[in-house]
Amino acid sequence: MTENSEAKKKPRRKANVGVGQSAPPWPTIIAFLLPAFVLYAVFMVWPLIQSMYFSMYEFKGLSREGFVGLDNFKELFTRYPLNEQLPRAFMHNIAFFVGTMAIQNTMGLLFALLLYGSRKGKRFFQTVYTTPYLISALVVGYLWSLMLNPLFGPVNQILKAIGLDALAHPWLGDPATALPAIILVNAWQWMGFPMLLFAAGLANISEEIREAARMDGATRWQLFRKIELPLLTPVIGIVTVLTFIGNFNAFGIVWSLGGVDGGPAGSTDVLGLVFYRTAFRGGIDAFGLASALAVLMFFFIFGISTIALKKFRKVEDQLT
Amino acid sequence: MKNLKVLVLLALAFTLAFSVVACQPAVEEPAIEEALVEEPVAEESVAEEPVAEEPVAEEPAEEEVAEEPATEEVTVTVWSWRTEDEDAYNEIFDVYEAAHPGVTVEFVPFVATDYNNILATGLTGEGGPDVAQLRAYGGIQPLIEAGQLLPLDGEIESLANFPAGLLKGATALSDGRIYGVPFGVQAFTAFYNVAIFEELGLEEPATWNEFIAVLDALQAADYIAISAPAKDTWMLPLIHDAVAAPRYGSTEFEAEILSGETDFNDPDYVASLGVIQDLQPYFPEDVVGIDYNSSKTLFLTEQAGIFIGGSFEVGFWRNEGPDLNLGVFRIPAPPESITDSVVPGWMDGSFGVNALSDSPDAAKELVNWMGTPEFGQMFTEKIKQLSAIPGMVPTDPLLVEFAELFAETPASYLTLVNFRYGDPSGSTLLGEGIQSMFLGNATPDSVAASMQEGVSQWFTPGE
Repeated sequence: MTENSEAKKKPRRKANVGVGQSAPPWPTIIAFLLPAFVLYAVFMVWPLIQSMYFSMYEFKGLSREGFVGLDNFKELFTRYPLNEQLPRAFMHNIAFFVGTMAIQNTMGLLFALLLYGSRKGKRFFQTVYTTPYLISALVVGYLWSLMLNPLFGPVNQILKAIGLDALAHPWLGDPATALPAIILVNAWQWMGFPMLLFAAGLANISEEIREAARMDGATRWQLFRKIELPLLTPVIGIVTVLTFIGNFNAFGIVWSLGGVDGGPAGSTDVLGLVFYRTAFRGGIDAFGLASALAVLMFFFIFGISTIALKKFRKVEDQLT
Repeated sequence: MKNLKVLVLLALAFTLAFSVVACQPAVEEPAIEEALVEEPVAEESVAEEPVAEEPVAEEPAEEEVAEEPATEEVTVTVWSWRTEDEDAYNEIFDVYEAAHPGVTVEFVPFVATDYNNILATGLTGEGGPDVAQLRAYGGIQPLIEAGQLLPLDGEIESLANFPAGLLKGATALSDGRIYGVPFGVQAFTAFYNVAIFEELGLEEPATWNEFIAVLDALQAADYIAISAPAKDTWMLPLIHDAVAAPRYGSTEFEAEILSGETDFNDPDYVASLGVIQDLQPYFPEDVVGIDYNSSKTLFLTEQAGIFIGGSFEVGFWRNEGPDLNLGVFRIPAPPESITDSVVPGWMDGSFGVNALSDSPDAAKELVNWMGTPEFGQMFTEKIKQLSAIPGMVPTDPLLVEFAELFAETPASYLTLVNFRYGDPSGSTLLGEGIQSMFLGNATPDSVAASMQEGVSQWFTPGE
């Protein structure tokens, strides 16, 4: 295993240039990179720099007033009730991420494994599981808010019809169940995405390795635990980072199920909603304050994602 | 290799073209921003500049061409958040166009929930409206502060048709000038299902005890007494004011809190929150799970006897439940009330003129007309809402009742009228507070304390 990986490593690092070819001249490289770079710079880098700039100014409506340094950042953590809403929303984002990892991605992996082993209906089920993520989060939220409606929703009506009255519940109206309900709806929508990535990862694992393990008498669980799971590390890394970014930027699904205040009683409030309220429903100084929050969110998500990717790459290197 | 060269050239050409396109607005933007901050004077001088600087030979010819037609064709664009009123507004503006040859009024409605953002962006550059429908009170302030609207007092004669109290909703905090011509008012109290009341032998309650007896009778007959939503927190301050404003003192308390004589921790205000808490058993079960639309459906499908709502819902009931026999009554004052019962309301919004409008004169003429009884009567008839101009008579009997009740015992919708000028707004704090109270996570004292703490960060009494 280690010998194999040593041998693999070297060509992999040089694989950018084909055998017998020299690298294209610099002007060519620049010419190819420039369009994408310009697009990226104009639509990503420039707004980002601008929001950093705005975050240090006081605003009155859309007109920029004086330079205030870090006052907007300070205001985020001192103005009532923002000072209570921000940490609460942050904790909800963490819960959202942990819940999504535990439910959505575990189920995604499970379904990928089941589909990998099956011959019949694979295409069909892959399509069925991935269809929900083609629908807008707002539409999904709206449909599920109807399904979970305590008065007219079919979920409670079905529970009552089959004698489970005790389980009939105002799912989105109870602070204890609202966030878990949103995590489940989100998982229902997105489960197909990690499933596809895991399925591709599983297909990438050489059949010879599996065969060899089976020859050595490995059970299905051992095959998964000792062979497939470690070799899926790169995919797990990507899925984790994408889930993290998605969950910390969550807005549409929470907005459509919990409302703009992340109700009931702030139990589903997340950073995306706090940002929206600050920017579009805030006071006259909303622009600077919202920019400050956007900057904080960006650096947090960017920082953690970068660290996580590096860590996963290390683990991946150790494995191969 | 040849292909590669072609590709490189194409890529370079694309980059160049894109850079040019991308850079254009970036260059223009600061100029617009500055013009906005410095008010429209700069705009006008720019428009007139060529007359002074261009060679004399060419100028007169151009001016002659421009002035030749007796009636100049002008299009006045009006932006609004009322998509549902598009046909009605078009009919109203047809009347205006007939009386003003050469003027075309184009009504462009946007989705209400996105309207504030669309308008704020539209007013910053080209392609914005000439006339814009504007939110009231705190909602109009960011646009005024950004210099995006023209002041109208002293310019628009029809502003004299409005009571001073209503104009507050279109007045700037910064300079005290008026930036919009009000179009409507909203009032709110209790709707009731006449058929259910008749079935149970109930009458409109005149006292608090009678009110509670009606609620008990409805519940005893397996009806939901009051259909209320507590999932959508924005309705909760409205319900609080409709029921409990007399308990805290309504207009008297309003004057005291604005002058600094008292604050939200006032025992009477706290007691008014207790009134709402005591009514919770009469709301639907799991009320915090029930959203605004569901609560309306409960009333529409005759599962509930009473719905606390506003004149703005009359159109909805008429459209969705044309056979529904509805009445309106003034909710009696709760025990120990400071004032008699009231019907609170607010100025719903106004129409103002974009500071960057290409046709400011035509726009001003249009908004002036929107302040006349001719517009006011058509507004209340066709849009089925209460006109902001006193004396206009709606055609719908329910609206007539609302208009009468509001005229007899008017009061300000306290949080909307006075405490939406800063962040956090009084409405938000109160809505979330009442919701928490229904969940058992807050008490009237803690809700009042939270309101005071939040609002005092930006509200200074007496200013």
